[in-house]
Amino acid sequence: MKIADLWRLSRTAYKEVSFQSIFSLRTGAILPQKEADIGRLARSAEVNTLISKIITTIFIAAFGFTIFLPTAIGMGLPKVPKEMVIVGGVTAFLAVLLFLIAFMGLQVATSLVSSKIVEVLSPLPLSKHDISWIVFLCFIKIFDIPLLIALLVFPVLYAFSSGSFLGGLASFLSIGVTEIFALALTMGLAGFFYSRILSGGGRSKWKALLRFIFLIVWILPSFGAYLVMNFAVQIAQTFASMTQILSSLQFIALIYPFSFGFLVSYASFPSEINYFILTLSIISSFGYSTLAAYCLKFVTSFIRRIGTGVGGVITPMREIVKDTIIRPQAPWFGIIRKDLRMASRSPSYASLFLLPALQTAILVFSFSFGEVGLSTILGMLFGMSLVTLLLPPTLLSIEGVSSAYTRSLPLKKRTLILAKTMLTTVIYAISLVVLFVAAVFLKKNFVSILAFGAVHTFSVAAASMLELTILANKFWKGDFALGNVYARLSTFILIIIPGFAMVLFPILAALIAYFLADYFVLTIFSTIAILEFATMMLAVLRE
Amino acid sequence: MVQQAAVTVEGLVVAYGSFVAVDNLSFTVHPGEVYGLLGPNGAGKTSTIKALIGVLQPRSGKIQVYGMPLSDEVAVKSQIGYVPEEVVLFDSLTPREFFEFIASVRRLEADVVNFRLERLACALDVKQYFDTPIAALSRGNKQKVAITAALLHEPKLLILDEPLIGLDARSSKILKELITFHAKKGGAVIFSTHIMEVAEKLCTRVGIINKGRLVGEGTVEGLRKLVKSAEGSLEDIFLKVTEQEKDMQEIIRALEEGQ
Repeated sequence: MKIADLWRLSRTAYKEVSFQSIFSLRTGAILPQKEADIGRLARSAEVNTLISKIITTIFIAAFGFTIFLPTAIGMGLPKVPKEMVIVGGVTAFLAVLLFLIAFMGLQVATSLVSSKIVEVLSPLPLSKHDISWIVFLCFIKIFDIPLLIALLVFPVLYAFSSGSFLGGLASFLSIGVTEIFALALTMGLAGFFYSRILSGGGRSKWKALLRFIFLIVWILPSFGAYLVMNFAVQIAQTFASMTQILSSLQFIALIYPFSFGFLVSYASFPSEINYFILTLSIISSFGYSTLAAYCLKFVTSFIRRIGTGVGGVITPMREIVKDTIIRPQAPWFGIIRKDLRMASRSPSYASLFLLPALQTAILVFSFSFGEVGLSTILGMLFGMSLVTLLLPPTLLSIEGVSSAYTRSLPLKKRTLILAKTMLTTVIYAISLVVLFVAAVFLKKNFVSILAFGAVHTFSVAAASMLELTILANKFWKGDFALGNVYARLSTFILIIIPGFAMVLFPILAALIAYFLADYFVLTIFSTIAILEFATMMLAVLRE
Repeated sequence: MVQQAAVTVEGLVVAYGSFVAVDNLSFTVHPGEVYGLLGPNGAGKTSTIKALIGVLQPRSGKIQVYGMPLSDEVAVKSQIGYVPEEVVLFDSLTPREFFEFIASVRRLEADVVNFRLERLACALDVKQYFDTPIAALSRGNKQKVAITAALLHEPKLLILDEPLIGLDARSSKILKELITFHAKKGGAVIFSTHIMEVAEKLCTRVGIINKGRLVGEGTVEGLRKLVKSAEGSLEDIFLKVTEQEKDMQEIIRALEEGQ
């Protein structure tokens, strides 16, 4: 079949993969599958995938314009030679690119690996070769905009800004290699995850620990992306300074992505050449390019295995079952246990569970910038609570996949709300512990952090109950399918905004009190937080 | 003394926007009865069942389960064991974890539930999959997990939506026996199926739905009298009652002429 025809067919497959990423969450939901509704979902799925690609592209562009390109026009750091600034800038940009593409890839790779497009294509009069091409082109379409923009636009802009064609060419090579590494990382993790976690059950503690380790590995790119987004400029500066310090070691040129940083730098400014480092960087860049070629081969063969169904991307594992004993608990505990088990097998859910603690760990960096006053503490609590409050809609959307089944159980709405509130509050409390331990370790106002943090937990619990009540009421009325909450951005935002307002309210009141009557700050803060909690508790108990 | 009905449905209307899926449906199921809901695809069987278990909000009508209105949600659902048509469970859980969740929500005692679970797992041959994620199970095995979960609390009323789809011969036979035994013990069963032979053998009474309306109800014998056919199978009766018989003959003739 002609490549043009395969490209056309891959568009249909791509639409199906984007659609499945949303529609699969509707399965088992209570809404009728009306034609207009399905049509709206299909459009929404395409728009969502496009938005995801555009957002990734915007991030890449932002880092390209703030880290990568300024080095080409000689903007740099005082006391750091310009070629070292380029090494730092290029290295940081490549690290950002690797994390961002891998992060975006991990969001969609799961739906591609688990998608059933091959089952639809297989009975058609298409050869296995054609099918694997269609799947491969579909895979390319998932990443096309960010990959092309990074690969084509930045090297050209770099060549123009630095006035070095050779520099542009070297940056083209380094970006291309990085993109292939990111794709290989994505597909490798997706395959590993599915074969080792999703398809493998098990109840031993060892298996649970293994799952946890795999999940950490899986979500590392997400955290890496999050970290570089927050500290991109500092990272670039650190890389540049580090390069200057370590350049005496010279062997840093052997390490990816520094090797490409040196390559681009010396290609752009041949007058500054250190021939030994240049030789090392050329040798290592060649080695990494060869590795990239192998990675590309791995990615294509992996996709082909999805395309042909040969070789088993997913290899289910069967456990030896000794007994059928189960341990029922109270309903609320049963719900929490089920949610934690599901989260332990889903990287996207797991990352949301870990995000508040990670956010706190990152916020702790600001401790080193001076005294920790009331405004810093309250600001931190607000930031931590915002991230935590993304959790309640997620926890309820966990039910979405089999919401019809859940609705058939004798489950009180308030049991569901209180169980998920309890889990959200515990997650918030864990991030508070991280904050408190850091404060004790750094000897920074830990008594105030403990007092305000503990009290604010009531407000976070109240906000969680508010979000869950709104969502559960909509779900009970059958207004929408729970698993679909992320497909309906307006619904999602309308649910979390009241939650945000609720956690902000005691903070604002405390800040106002601080200027008017600072003796009453904690009293006012506590009164409002506890009132919020009591009000929401009463409202939920009436459900 | 009049025995209390297991299920009473009066004037049930289920609509999706302007589309009316179930139109003024009324029927009663008594304890000890196996009531078959039959109908062509899209007739409104699943919508009726979803309304019965409180998953769908009817536009109007009255549903009572053992004399309790559906608004008494928790009490009603405690009496029901439900197997959905499309078995979508929590795929990332293993059956053991799924049963633990179900038993927790239903507040079942560990000793009692473990005894029942062992028996059901052996009967339906699901024990070997206990620690395999549900996602990795075949459709038939998922169906067995759903059936086991529906029977864990020994419900008084079983509502099964196409329960035999995907089951192997052994499990199918066991499920049929379970249904019969459940009814003999005084429980009630409502199940929808497309397999007329099964309905004919298992059901005490059947209700035939077409375009959301009940177009025929009674025992198979009673329906035979209704369509004035002394020997017709339930399939023939079904086609007659749903007014598909004439269409069928025309379609078959057209197909034969096209050969």
